[in-house]
Amino acid sequence: MGTQNMILNVFKKYIGIGLVGITVTDRYGGVCPIRGSSMSPTFNPSLGSFTDDYVFLEKFCLDKYRFAHGDVVIFSDPTNYKERCVKRIVAMEGDYISNVSGVVKVPEGHCWVEGDNSASSFDSRSFGPIPLGLIHGRVTHIVWPPQRIKKIDRKVPQEGLAF
Amino acid sequence: MVTPSFLWNVCKSSFTFGLIGLTISDRFASIVPVRGLSMSPTLNPHESTSLGLFTDDHVLVEKRCLTNYKFSHGDVVVFCSPSSYKEKHIKRITAMAGDWISVPYSYDAVKIPEGHCWVEGDNPTNSLDSRSFGPIPVGLIRGRVTHIMWPPQRVGKVDTRFPKDGECLVCYCIIIFL
Repeated sequence: MGTQNMILNVFKKYIGIGLVGITVTDRYGGVCPIRGSSMSPTFNPSLGSFTDDYVFLEKFCLDKYRFAHGDVVIFSDPTNYKERCVKRIVAMEGDYISNVSGVVKVPEGHCWVEGDNSASSFDSRSFGPIPLGLIHGRVTHIVWPPQRIKKIDRKVPQEGLAF
Repeated sequence: MVTPSFLWNVCKSSFTFGLIGLTISDRFASIVPVRGLSMSPTLNPHESTSLGLFTDDHVLVEKRCLTNYKFSHGDVVVFCSPSSYKEKHIKRITAMAGDWISVPYSYDAVKIPEGHCWVEGDNPTNSLDSRSFGPIPVGLIRGRVTHIMWPPQRVGKVDTRFPKDGECLVCYCIIIFL
């Protein structure tokens, strides 16, 4: 009947939009919330605010793995594979990093990540350099709340790099 | 007669099938060829010939395990190489986080850190695995191999078996430390 056809069409349209949405989020980009204050003041600058920052995450960089110093990336936590962390890349493979336990050379295929808020950040100073294969995407913009919408800069931190 | 609306319908259908195929291969399962001999005799038991793609084993990699990350000893997994992030390797998990592994050719034992696992190929003489690059974070795993799909005479399930040598080494270490 007419109504059955209409319902089928609406159903097909929703499935189509859902599929496009899933493919785009998996392969190209998506939006996700930031929890915690390890990246203050870049994200979540004030404790106890009602709204967490939401950021736009792009996955085009994963094709060629073109990351550079200062990129903010989202990656799987190497100690707990179910969680994801967001930190800034401070050193790439081949660089030397001076740590509390001496000078560490970042091995091939790895990178060294640190949070902007060094006092309260669980990062490579605890779990060491991470393989680039753990990275899920690069953060480009903050998209929520509206008064904090802006592009994320590639800030290269001054301390930490020994040479 | 090929009308514009017929062409449009064909376009829409192929676009939809393409999307469905992409989603299934990203999230459920896909078929990949196996290169190299590091997993003989389980996969690729014969030397690669010049025919290459036609005689290599093709396996079914399932990705539902990635939502719960429920891996166990003996699973054959596909993971991104920790030293060369553009490549993917296929090896078997021989130890999970918290187990002890004895380092070959020395008296040291390594405890696998939390969130990591130890992978080895079934053909130890010809395999670049955790004995070279150490334990890998479980987050690098991209899927689990369940079946061989090609060539037709080797179609079957891939067993999750405990390799004999690894078992002895792990038990030996536990005896030393107790």
